[in-house]
Amino acid sequence: MLNQNGLSLDQAPPIFVVFRFFFVGALFGILSGLFVLFFQETIFNAHSTEAIILTHTLTLGVMLSFMFGALFQMLPVIAGIKLTSPDLKANLLLYPFIVGIIALLFAFKLTTVSWLFLLASVLLGGSLLGIIVILLKNLFSLENHTSTSKGTTYTLLSLGIAVLFALYLTGTLAGVTEGSAYSHIKEAHYSFGLYGWIALLIISISFQVIEMFYVTPPFPKLFLNYMPATLFILLLLASLVGIFYPSIWLLADILLALLLGSYAVLTLKRFTQRKRPLTDATVWFWRLGLSSLLLSMLSLLLTLFIDYDPIKALSYIAFSSFGLSIVFAMFYKIVPFLTWFHLNSQGYISPPMMHQIIHPKMMMKHLYIHTATIVTFIFAIFIPQLIFLAGLLTILSFGWAGYQVVNAHLLYRKTQKTGKKFNMGSMY
Amino acid sequence: MIISNYMKNEHRECDTLFASAEEAIALGEWDVAEERFLAFSNEALTHFKKEEEELFPAFEAQTGMTEGPTQVMRYEHEQVRGLLGNMAESLEAKDKDACLSLAESMMILLQQHNMKEEQMLYAMCDRVLPAELKEKTLETMKNMSL
Repeated sequence: MLNQNGLSLDQAPPIFVVFRFFFVGALFGILSGLFVLFFQETIFNAHSTEAIILTHTLTLGVMLSFMFGALFQMLPVIAGIKLTSPDLKANLLLYPFIVGIIALLFAFKLTTVSWLFLLASVLLGGSLLGIIVILLKNLFSLENHTSTSKGTTYTLLSLGIAVLFALYLTGTLAGVTEGSAYSHIKEAHYSFGLYGWIALLIISISFQVIEMFYVTPPFPKLFLNYMPATLFILLLLASLVGIFYPSIWLLADILLALLLGSYAVLTLKRFTQRKRPLTDATVWFWRLGLSSLLLSMLSLLLTLFIDYDPIKALSYIAFSSFGLSIVFAMFYKIVPFLTWFHLNSQGYISPPMMHQIIHPKMMMKHLYIHTATIVTFIFAIFIPQLIFLAGLLTILSFGWAGYQVVNAHLLYRKTQKTGKKFNMGSMY
Repeated sequence: MIISNYMKNEHRECDTLFASAEEAIALGEWDVAEERFLAFSNEALTHFKKEEEELFPAFEAQTGMTEGPTQVMRYEHEQVRGLLGNMAESLEAKDKDACLSLAESMMILLQQHNMKEEQMLYAMCDRVLPAELKEKTLETMKNMSL
């Protein structure tokens, strides 16, 4: 008998790999909400320890978890990469990664305990560089490249560089390296992390996802072919030249803002040209995310010429909104589809439909909570008392996402226990 | 890239037909929805037929790969056929929520499938099939109907 189940599922990772990453991301999101409650308005000062702790909880704990979960699911589809033993690889990444983040957060707080920085460096550096090398090796061996697979290659290179720079920084904080280029490397580290990894990954994936899932006109060829490479080279040049001429970052930031701002406008326009007119929550998450990117880049441009702290805070909040909104847009496509797809492929007669796994109304409610969270953070720049509400809304927002993962998981298990299957053997 | 271009165009035509059927379902215009869904089903099934009866056998004969990517694509066609049946039932029952839910699954399943074909299989066909065979296969596909 032909093994039907294996054919398609072979290309998809085990469902729990993706669920695990998403659940961990949601837990770190709840932790970031708790940090907001404890740290209050100190988080708006980018140089404070509290802001650094919150930033790393969000970028490493939340964004990286969600993005790797999505990458494990999407790489087989968008680039034809089939990872061998995806479960093992995911676990080798995930568990050292979780302990590494916790060690790093404690290290930032207890700056005198230098071994914590070393522990974080070994765990985060080892796990992240390991998976980056494996994924890049697969990407480099592809015969047919698309703009998405090329873009993903640049994003993983960017993440690798951001991690290497981070190792220099933690090495300095631990007293292992002298750290003469500390401030320059710090700038290069977060630029590669925020723009080279987070923004470029979203851009690369969107090249395919927007056109296909929302039935829009394709992105202009020039943009598809050159945008990821241009952004990566810009970051690389600024990092190298910046060692000798630190003021190059001013020019680099202007160009980055223009590049990312134009991407936001171009993509927002695509959403007005959809041939698929249904507007579900994911469309609004994309719109919110892209508008936030535009706002973040406009405020970034302003901060280069006007030294006014609220604008800096606005730029950070808007960039976080960009990343998180689009993560949620992808999350609400992936979780219900994957649950249905795996059960359907296993031959269950009536697997729960996507709307039964997460109903569109539940997604819309999350959209309102998430939007309220972002708006409250922006108002909290001027009305500090609102920071408590922003923290509570953050906890609610990620609690909502975590609940959806648990619910999908329970439904999946329940169907496996009680669902009736087609007799595949009798078909042949 | 004659195979890629032709087949990609067909994917986009299917997407447009599907989107218009989905819109009618959302608006509860059941007669229009049925008509558009039928147009989409015909287009999709004709496209599958072209692949299964012409393109895939040509690729398999040329490469000797009968258990590889074409087999995965055939299985995914079966999954889509199953969903088409489920969608037709929910259209018949005028069950909007079930119909839109199945439409969402259909859209993602189709797009995942299309991405794999467009990025791997069609590109491989364009690369490995001799020019003459490519043209002949393309001509035969153009004249095929359900």
